Amino acid sequence: MNRTTILAAALLALAMPASAQQRVTIQWQTANLTESQYEPIWKATIAAFEAANPDVKVEPILVARRDHWTKFVAAAQAKQAPCVISVDVVSAAADGYLRPLDDLWAKEPASFRDAWSADMLAATRWKGQLFGLPNWGGTYAEVYNRELVEKAGLDPNNPPKTWAEYLAWSKKLTAPDQWATAILGGKTDTTTRVLLTWIWGNGGQPFNADMTEAQFAKDPKSLEAIKFYLGLFSNEKVAAPAPTTTNYLEQTVLFAQGKIATMRNAYWSIAKVIGDNPRIAGKMFVAPLPAQIPDAPTMATVSAHSISASCRHPEAAWRFIKFDMDKKWVVERATKANWMPLRRDVADEPAIKADPMLAQFVRVGSNAKSYPLPHPAWADIAANDIVDAVQKALLEPARTEVIFRELDTRLSRKLKDN
Amino acid sequence: MFLAGVIVLPLAHAFWTSLHRIRGLTATFVGLRNYERVLEDEAFWHALGVSLRFTSISVAAHVLLGLGLALVLNELRVARTALRILFLTPWMVASAIGATIWLWLLEPQFGVVNHLLVTAGLVERPLAWLGEPGTAFAAVTAVEVWRGVPFIMLLMLAGLQTIPQEQYEAAAIDGATAVQRFRHVTLPNLRYLLVVASTLDIINVVRHYDIIGVMTGGGPAGATEVLPALLYNTAFRANRFGEAAAIGVMLLLMVLAFSIVYLRVTRIGRAEPGS
Repeated sequence: MNRTTILAAALLALAMPASAQQRVTIQWQTANLTESQYEPIWKATIAAFEAANPDVKVEPILVARRDHWTKFVAAAQAKQAPCVISVDVVSAAADGYLRPLDDLWAKEPASFRDAWSADMLAATRWKGQLFGLPNWGGTYAEVYNRELVEKAGLDPNNPPKTWAEYLAWSKKLTAPDQWATAILGGKTDTTTRVLLTWIWGNGGQPFNADMTEAQFAKDPKSLEAIKFYLGLFSNEKVAAPAPTTTNYLEQTVLFAQGKIATMRNAYWSIAKVIGDNPRIAGKMFVAPLPAQIPDAPTMATVSAHSISASCRHPEAAWRFIKFDMDKKWVVERATKANWMPLRRDVADEPAIKADPMLAQFVRVGSNAKSYPLPHPAWADIAANDIVDAVQKALLEPARTEVIFRELDTRLSRKLKDN
Repeated sequence: MFLAGVIVLPLAHAFWTSLHRIRGLTATFVGLRNYERVLEDEAFWHALGVSLRFTSISVAAHVLLGLGLALVLNELRVARTALRILFLTPWMVASAIGATIWLWLLEPQFGVVNHLLVTAGLVERPLAWLGEPGTAFAAVTAVEVWRGVPFIMLLMLAGLQTIPQEQYEAAAIDGATAVQRFRHVTLPNLRYLLVVASTLDIINVVRHYDIIGVMTGGGPAGATEVLPALLYNTAFRANRFGEAAAIGVMLLLMVLAFSIVYLRVTRIGRAEPGS
């Protein structure tokens, strides 16, 4: 390279706009980027963000749901975690993997901050600091296949409200090669989510108030709920076979194919089911969870955008988070990917109000406990210990109480250990 | 330098990790406490038992079936190459891909295996192959056998082809039956190779995770949780890296023990004339 070429290159570099020289790349990882119903939306979001922010490039990290946490932890340990991340906030914050957002949050105008309720933000706080901005959620409700319900001679306008009614329906909805429902016992935290909805629906408290003690077996209401729920498979034979390998994926496939008549799931499952079987669109209805106590709470999962502690461009990451939280994208996600918005100022958006099924989920979710539960060990407890106990109880129903008593001991040790 | 970078440093770091309590990005020195915790935990002993069962059954099946197939292929005069390639296919497929294929073949509701069994009237209703402890263990072991037999078969076939034909001819002249020829000619000639292949296979199988990771993740209820699965689950699901590293170090010691056996056998083999 001669002197003239070097000089020309240097002049060219000086002449380049500052933004092009300083363009930063931020990585973005959530468990959902591989979901087909969401793919066009996130691609459009990135394209629009990069057009509006030419100094930032967003690199999506696609990872299978079951490997999402593992990949994040491995990257966080190497201090190479993606800048924008959606994980179990408390577990990740307690491990030091996330950056507190309070300084960035405080700079925002009140109009932006008021879009989230204090309760919603509480779910993403750890030791008083804000570690995530709630993005979307899932309220658990009971979804029914209208055709199967009517075929069984049941009234879709009068779905079961109590467990006795649910069991009566379940018996009528079970036929050769068809079951009323599916018990979730696969090795993901979805198993725990559904179990908790049954426990809460019976007024059970599987943990004490400060989450230092587990009482799945000690609390009679919790144990009763566990026995009833798992008994749908073990005793009543109204649940699909192979519950220990049934996860969200298998459950939605069974529902889409008309193998089960009802599933306990969130709004996003509707998009998944229709994706699996488009003919089922318009043939589902949603009802509150049957419960044993008045005003029983359901579960509302909270997914939040966080910034990893190792992120070298937190300002750029925050800009992207705010962009992705814009009403336009919130409504897009709600209407096309069936992700329930957590901004309280979008409930009156015409597109949201026009969807009766979403409106029903919103109504059901008006009384919900947030999930994940606030403990640093929750990600482990929910995906491993509780699931193992459910699997053991499904395999040895007669030992259910012993198994959950052992779980209480194990969990109480873990809860105090962290 | 290269060996230090890819072997010594990671091993040293794993050992260092095993002596620390790791919580997120914080490490606290705890001495041998992680080893104590692991050894006190019944999950470790359960996983060790599952590992021993999984390894012994898999290796025995690999060697028996591999030797059997090699004997058959060695006798064939037609289509030997084509069959050899065909039998090698499971070994050529990446373990995780093979496991994923089997996962769907064994799927309880829509899997081909259940469809065939029900259609043939062999079972009344679809079986939850990976949902019951017994069938799940049998299924992952069968897939491990399916994957591992070709390699042993290849080794044995190579060994069979080195046996001098004159030994078989002499045995035939002496009136030896096929079984006697196998026992007194084939086996003694393959003895060294059998020990080497078995030892290598033990080392290989005992640290295997991919098939179980894909098919069951160690479940149901720990029925297929071999030591590498326990290690993975302890590290990446339970976030207890110190204890996971302690399991890793103990697993390494087990593999090293078999490696010493392997090295001794190969040294004896080299010393024996004609072996």
